Amino acid sequence: MQSALVRVLELSKTFKRNGGETFFAVKDVSFDIQRGEIFSLLGPNGAGKTTTISMISGLLTPTKGDATIDGHSITKEPLVAKRLLGVVPQEIALYPALSARQNLEFFGKLYGLRGGGLKRAVDETLDLIDLKDRQKDKLEHFSGGMKRRVNIGVGLLHKPQLIYMDEPTVGIDPQNRRRILDTVLRLRDEMKMSVLYTSHLMEEVQEISNRVGIIDHGQLIAMGTVGELIQKVGEEDRLIFTLESDRVDENIIQRLKSEIPTITSAQFDPRASDNPDAASMSAGKLTVFATRGRKALPDIIRIANEAGLGIVSVEVREPDLEAVFLHLTGRALRD
Amino acid sequence: MLRKIWSIAYKDLYITFTDRTALLIMFATPLTLAVIIGLVFSGFISNQGSDVPVQNIPVVVVNLDEGVIANNMPLNQGQLFVDILVPQGEPDPDNTLHQLTDAVQGTDAAAARAGVDDGTYRAAIIIPPEFSRSLTVSAEQRQMTPTSVEVYANPASPVSASIISSITESLANQIALGNISIAATIDALTARAVEDPAFGVEFGAAAVTGEFNPDFSAAFDPAVNPIQIEQQSVSGETAAFNPLVLFGSSQAVFFMMFTAMAGGNALLEERRDGTLQRQLVSPTPRIALLLGKFLGTLITCIAQVTLLFLGLTLVGSVLAGELKFIWGSNFLLIGLTILCVSLAASGIGALIASIVRTPEQGNTVGTIVAMLIGLFGGAFFSVETVPIMNIFSRFTINYWGVNAFTKLSQGQTDIGLNLLILLILGVVFFAIGMFSFNRQLDV
Repeated sequence: MQSALVRVLELSKTFKRNGGETFFAVKDVSFDIQRGEIFSLLGPNGAGKTTTISMISGLLTPTKGDATIDGHSITKEPLVAKRLLGVVPQEIALYPALSARQNLEFFGKLYGLRGGGLKRAVDETLDLIDLKDRQKDKLEHFSGGMKRRVNIGVGLLHKPQLIYMDEPTVGIDPQNRRRILDTVLRLRDEMKMSVLYTSHLMEEVQEISNRVGIIDHGQLIAMGTVGELIQKVGEEDRLIFTLESDRVDENIIQRLKSEIPTITSAQFDPRASDNPDAASMSAGKLTVFATRGRKALPDIIRIANEAGLGIVSVEVREPDLEAVFLHLTGRALRD
Repeated sequence: MLRKIWSIAYKDLYITFTDRTALLIMFATPLTLAVIIGLVFSGFISNQGSDVPVQNIPVVVVNLDEGVIANNMPLNQGQLFVDILVPQGEPDPDNTLHQLTDAVQGTDAAAARAGVDDGTYRAAIIIPPEFSRSLTVSAEQRQMTPTSVEVYANPASPVSASIISSITESLANQIALGNISIAATIDALTARAVEDPAFGVEFGAAAVTGEFNPDFSAAFDPAVNPIQIEQQSVSGETAAFNPLVLFGSSQAVFFMMFTAMAGGNALLEERRDGTLQRQLVSPTPRIALLLGKFLGTLITCIAQVTLLFLGLTLVGSVLAGELKFIWGSNFLLIGLTILCVSLAASGIGALIASIVRTPEQGNTVGTIVAMLIGLFGGAFFSVETVPIMNIFSRFTINYWGVNAFTKLSQGQTDIGLNLLILLILGVVFFAIGMFSFNRQLDV
């Protein structure tokens, strides 16, 4: 069995508030990242993601604990460890007055690349980010999506074993977003890199991650594959029916439960639906919780029609990381 | 590591020297100012007395000196100021001082000062009553005692005030030199009399009979020792008083301060836009990163001053009608001075960057500091005649830099202290700034 590429061991960081009081921004966070794995850190703003990653990348000195990249301690051998790490920050951390090529060359030199090696690395990176034809243009003339691609290219230039990407798809159009996600998958599948990924977009994290760590109030509160996390919290599908009727008898609720065994609960909210298309003609919302909810859907519709409830629309929500976070913390991820 | 330092410096240099706005501020603005100054002083530069554009500066000379009796003869050394500056009859067209000044003799110090206050005169030179007593060496008083000549100048006319101050200083030096010569002569004669008894007897008899009655007036005679402002060089070379050197170098150092501040501020801007953090997560030692930034600023400052000096030389040469390097001939020391001034300025830039939090704060604080240093350092007017500012100016880079450039332009080489102070300022400011900035990065 291969050893983990990254080991984070009880990493902690304290800061002082203005009043002099010390608080933990990150407390005893431990996790591993395997080789060729995309590991995502998920958490709301201020949860401690950035502080954790700043310590792993050598920007901040840990108050306690350590992190190793391929066995090299970030605190004891920072220059060696940093050589194995590529960073793609959330903001466009590039020089607008320099061309795409000049930006890549400058950062390449800081990673020790020189001469022919540097030229080769820059050419390959420009191919990868698909900007070879614009390589001599100054960055200030690039679109947001193109700048993001250069931003990623700088992180990949020296072929790191681990690449950290912080919200790399923020603020860009769907086409560039898709291109970036495909690039991330290529890094793992073709270039066998490990990726440490952060994003607030659940769909992205669910799509690309091998494993996810959920962090809140500076502590890692859950970790595993997406499936494991969802399974761990036991979330069921939510079937949300917008109805014309403003009243649902308790008898109907009981009938649903008795005739469809996968239904665990059902509740009616007599307030008008928040569905704007249906709002004018509907009066209430029936929410049914069921395992394998899609299978139960035809029977629920049949019973509702027989009861004359008048279904306006149906929405099926499968369990997701948002629901997991809600379950674990009682708060929405974007709160 | 050196390669990384150079990569960082080169990147900053490339960005600076391809930014038209930055170039305009760095080079065009001070050069334009210097050209204007050059045009104002074109007569000085051409060294043609009749073409002096700043001429007939109204000055009043008040000699309150009570004089002394020396060798049974009345001696009034303060009168030398009057004799040299105030024309007897029509002003001599060949006398630069007579062309430059329109000097009159006054008798009342208070009235002279009032005349300066109300604009009648640009300056008043007031010689104190004890002037001759303090300076005359005799058997009773073997040493000179300190005295001072007051130059009461109008700050609204800084150029005129500065010129009159310089002339007065030159005259005072000449008189002091004359007195030192007399003291040295008397000492030598006395020593010989002690060593050679025969000569001692003869010398003593001559002194008693009055046969020994030397005329020391030659030591003060302007005809023998022509006091002209062009001849201020201690090395004996004729060095023209060239305002382009004084004002050009003060403008160059003043504008270089802004360049240095901008260099320090670039660190804060990089921290804000994340490029600094991106460099910090690369395998580059922090000291290499900070030295790279400092080197970029230092080279920019050196380039700015050097190009300005060359530009001013060109302006001076055009105005003088001949190609003339106005900064002196000791290129090694000129280069060293530029290096040390740039080092000190870059150090201040680094220090400012370390004590502020944002680029906006850096801009504001940097501008205030540069303006204050410029003000006290003499970038806007000559501070030599303003007592308090004269003292404060010693704490500025501008003073030590401009002073060194002025000395070098006149063929003097005694700028060791200037270089040492500038070097220490640069190293200390940079060290404190970088230590403090490094601590900010690693919170």
